Amino acid sequence: MQDRDSVRTAVKELLVSGLRLDVSPADIVDDAPIFGEGLGLDSIDALELVVLVEERFSVGIPDEETGKRVFGSVAALTDFILAEQPR
Amino acid sequence: MSRPVAITGLGTVTALGSDVSALAAALADGRGGIGALTLFPYRGRCAIAAQVPELTAGVVAALPPATGRRLSRPDRFALAAGTEACRDAGLGPAERRAAAVHVGATIGGMHEVGEAYGRRFTGVDRRLRLSRVLAMPLSTTAAVLSQALGLFGPRSTYSTACSSSALAIAQAAESVRRGAAPVALAVGTDGLCRVTYAGFDALQALDPEPCRPFARDRRGLSLGEGAAALVLEDLDHARARGARVHALLLGDATTADAHHVTAPHPDGLGAAAALTGALAAARLSPDAVDYVNAHGSGTPQNDAVEMSVLRRVLGGRVGRVPISSTKAQHGHCLGAAGAVEAVVTVLALERGLLPSTRGLRAPEWDDVDFVPEPGRRAALGVAVTSSYGFGGHNVTLVLGRAEGR
Repeated sequence: MQDRDSVRTAVKELLVSGLRLDVSPADIVDDAPIFGEGLGLDSIDALELVVLVEERFSVGIPDEETGKRVFGSVAALTDFILAEQPR
Repeated sequence: MSRPVAITGLGTVTALGSDVSALAAALADGRGGIGALTLFPYRGRCAIAAQVPELTAGVVAALPPATGRRLSRPDRFALAAGTEACRDAGLGPAERRAAAVHVGATIGGMHEVGEAYGRRFTGVDRRLRLSRVLAMPLSTTAAVLSQALGLFGPRSTYSTACSSSALAIAQAAESVRRGAAPVALAVGTDGLCRVTYAGFDALQALDPEPCRPFARDRRGLSLGEGAAALVLEDLDHARARGARVHALLLGDATTADAHHVTAPHPDGLGAAAALTGALAAARLSPDAVDYVNAHGSGTPQNDAVEMSVLRRVLGGRVGRVPISSTKAQHGHCLGAAGAVEAVVTVLALERGLLPSTRGLRAPEWDDVDFVPEPGRRAALGVAVTSSYGFGGHNVTLVLGRAEGR
């Protein structure tokens, strides 16, 4: 199993490269919201992020409720990936 | 006959520069914009184009960040040109609210979606990227313009090959004439893309050297890209708000060849009908034409047919009417060509400066004034610009100087 720091870094890199964000991965704050005011992502980005997370971490986001929870912040997404990732 | 429609705003992005003043300066100097193709790797017979450098991020400032980030290159070009044109026309929020949007384009986000397909089918990505697919439709350009600039009027997109944006201008003028909107933004945009580049290469329609329209040794066209925007406005409306009128659209005509999927009609029937029809709509005789901004793509067929049409319509005056093709400078911008060349023609009328046919040293026709480099000053009253698209889509616009009318 991967450690939390490397997953968190990988999540940030995925956000920047997968969604072509104009920020550096290191500048993304762990607890800041990803959507809306935070990184300025929108509903299209959310759909794309579901695919990106599934491809990169082999972790599915089954429904909107789960999506809302785990896309709350980089920290929340990291926790979800660590909990769900196949061992 | 058509009522004249005022042109009150101009905007453009091409390889010659990112605004109208940069274009005007390049036209005055006869500078060329055709160079190495670097947007994508390409191995073929030809590897040059009039490519637009990356635009600054400020272009998308009026859009939500997530929307701006996903725009295709042609949508960015259109947004830059449209924003410049609306600002140039001094359109306030109320005028924009009522404005129509007419876009001409042929490629849309094909470059972006092509890259995404490439990544998917070479295994870099396991799924196709939604954001890239959403950039594909031709209709996104008008939607983006309308969202960014606050345009709520009638909205249409035209795709008639290389006359797409000439048609958008004609239709924008028509929407103003019939009162559908007092102001209409006409935009042409297209971006370089591997599929179209390879297609023109396979047709053997690309010149490996920068294109030389009307030259005896011409071998084809040079692809370009970019956008141009014109604000068309009811003349009384423009006068009432004290707008500066750059030029007038006096008449236009659209015709078809009904002949072949790529070749022009050998006798130029459709092209000749567009030219005579546009002059008739403007209630002008061919004798009134002071300058022809030719389609002049640089292919052996086009230029030969176009010269025969001009010779037939202009008659004995053909040697005395300056004719030039600025595609030798900004390349063939496909769906954007009509709008780019309409802006070029408006600038010629407004500034009294005839643009040259760059690189033309040995013309096939030695009795014609193709305007030697770097161009020259001349007071013009009436100018025509024509666009001929594959499949025989012909559009001619007749433009007139604003002063004294």
